[in-house]
Amino acid sequence: MNAAPRRISRAVLAEALYLVNLLLAPGLAFLALLVLFRRHRDSADALTRVHTRQAFAASLVAGTLLVVVPGLIALTGDLSQPAVWTMLLLYFVCCHAGLVMLGVLALARALAGQAYVYPLLGGFR
Amino acid sequence: MKYQSQAVAKPYFIAAIGLFLGQILFGLIMGLQYVVGDYLFPAIPFNVARMVHTNLLIVWLLFGFMGAAYYLIPEESERELYSPKLALAMFWIFLVAGAATILGYLLVPYATLAEMTGNDILATMGREFLEQPLPTKVGIVIVALAMLFNLSMTVLKGRKTAINLVMLLGLWGLAIFFLFSFYNPANLVKDKFYWWWVVHLWVEGVWELIMGAMLAFVLIKVTGVDREVIEKWLYIIIAMALISGLIGTGHHYYWIGTPEYWQWWGSVFSAMEPIPFFMMTLFAFNMVNRRRREHPNQAAVLWALGTGVMAFLGAGVWGFLHTLAPVNFYTHGSQITAAHGHMAFYGAYAMVVLTMISYTMPILRGREANSRKAQVMEMWAFWLMTIAMVFITLFLTAAGILQIWLQRIAAEPMGFMAAQDQVALFYWMREITGLVFFTGLTLYIVSFFVKGEEARAS
Repeated sequence: MNAAPRRISRAVLAEALYLVNLLLAPGLAFLALLVLFRRHRDSADALTRVHTRQAFAASLVAGTLLVVVPGLIALTGDLSQPAVWTMLLLYFVCCHAGLVMLGVLALARALAGQAYVYPLLGGFR
Repeated sequence: MKYQSQAVAKPYFIAAIGLFLGQILFGLIMGLQYVVGDYLFPAIPFNVARMVHTNLLIVWLLFGFMGAAYYLIPEESERELYSPKLALAMFWIFLVAGAATILGYLLVPYATLAEMTGNDILATMGREFLEQPLPTKVGIVIVALAMLFNLSMTVLKGRKTAINLVMLLGLWGLAIFFLFSFYNPANLVKDKFYWWWVVHLWVEGVWELIMGAMLAFVLIKVTGVDREVIEKWLYIIIAMALISGLIGTGHHYYWIGTPEYWQWWGSVFSAMEPIPFFMMTLFAFNMVNRRRREHPNQAAVLWALGTGVMAFLGAGVWGFLHTLAPVNFYTHGSQITAAHGHMAFYGAYAMVVLTMISYTMPILRGREANSRKAQVMEMWAFWLMTIAMVFITLFLTAAGILQIWLQRIAAEPMGFMAAQDQVALFYWMREITGLVFFTGLTLYIVSFFVKGEEARAS
């Protein structure tokens, strides 16, 4: 495998792990992403670096938005009230779908050999 | 356009847009009837408005698919359509039959319509989405067979590509599965079992093939990406659509009296149904990212990308939301289903037809792309309709969650109508958002009449 496909495949792997963490194997995929991040976060190749850093940072944000925030709503809200459930479920579905969509955009860019920066995560390039 | 006979697509598209407008108007009427129960009663009762709303949707999408096929297949086959006259004759037959059916719904009591149209000879009416009188159903079969003959002959004599073969396979599937609408067994379980062979195997089966072919066709044209790359994506997408969608029919068999194993089969396979939609989104964005040219029709590119996103959200995410049997036990037949239905139909099928119209109509009118001004208006229409549909879905989802709680979870469950009163606020918000959708559609129609200098590739 020559250099160009290898750098693209690392970028694709990072974004794919971000999506697998959201969709199929939460936690496990994050651990794999963590390993990838530790190996390639300072890669000389800009494409590999930006995708591994971005995917890792976005996974941390996703974890916070999908675990911590709903946890706080559940802990502080009265779960015997339908309004709390309505808000909780709507929040989770919209947030999860939004994060998956961003992952799809990032993966499409990685497949095309282009960089992608998640919204508000520009500092982690 | 490359072939003169592609022009037969134009009347199909015009009819599709006209019927789409009618569908939205009846949607607004129904939306208001949800909160003002006697609005337009007895002139247009709720059940009639609902029937017109859903039947117009099906008919305008069929017009759109047919128009798309008559445009796409000659171009892919690299030859003129086998018989443009037959295509035009079928257009008029389908339009007259469709209009007469809708007028029948509106002007004649349904039971009388059934008597008048021979339902006692072969009873096929009275089932959701398949309410059409017998002569209309026979007409649909005749129109579909004539279209398939016409298109198949064109492909047989011309070039075979993945796109025209997938399109043709989808259209054949559409016609074949519609034949189950004539089978109406007295046993209610069997009736529902085979009813889904039309409804589910259309929208979560063969229509996905039609959608994939249309999207692939437009993406080749607007991005200039190699056909081989796009066709490989198409093969994988349609394989996943069929692998997941066929046995995924089982998610309709949880509670209708079929064996319990359907809860496993339905859950497992329908959990995979978002995969082809996920791939379509990835496919669309990947192709646009790898584009080799800046196509002057940026509105068509926007519709293509929007189709991917909205189909994944509406059909994929909102479908998965209530597809697993333990979840569906609570959500079945609630406003969650309505939320999913609205976004899935708009995202997957309405938008792909609009993508095709957006790409082809300027060419059918003698230019590669509309003026910049017309395209900006069309893009405004895109955003208004799409954002409105997102909010319609969110309000219906909120209504659904609350409805489920009040009717099925609360310690003292409410009756259906009492729960409906409690969720009225969401219905009002849905109606207001529906008006925004209508504004977007009006703008879309107006954009066809905006003149100006033809946009050029940058």
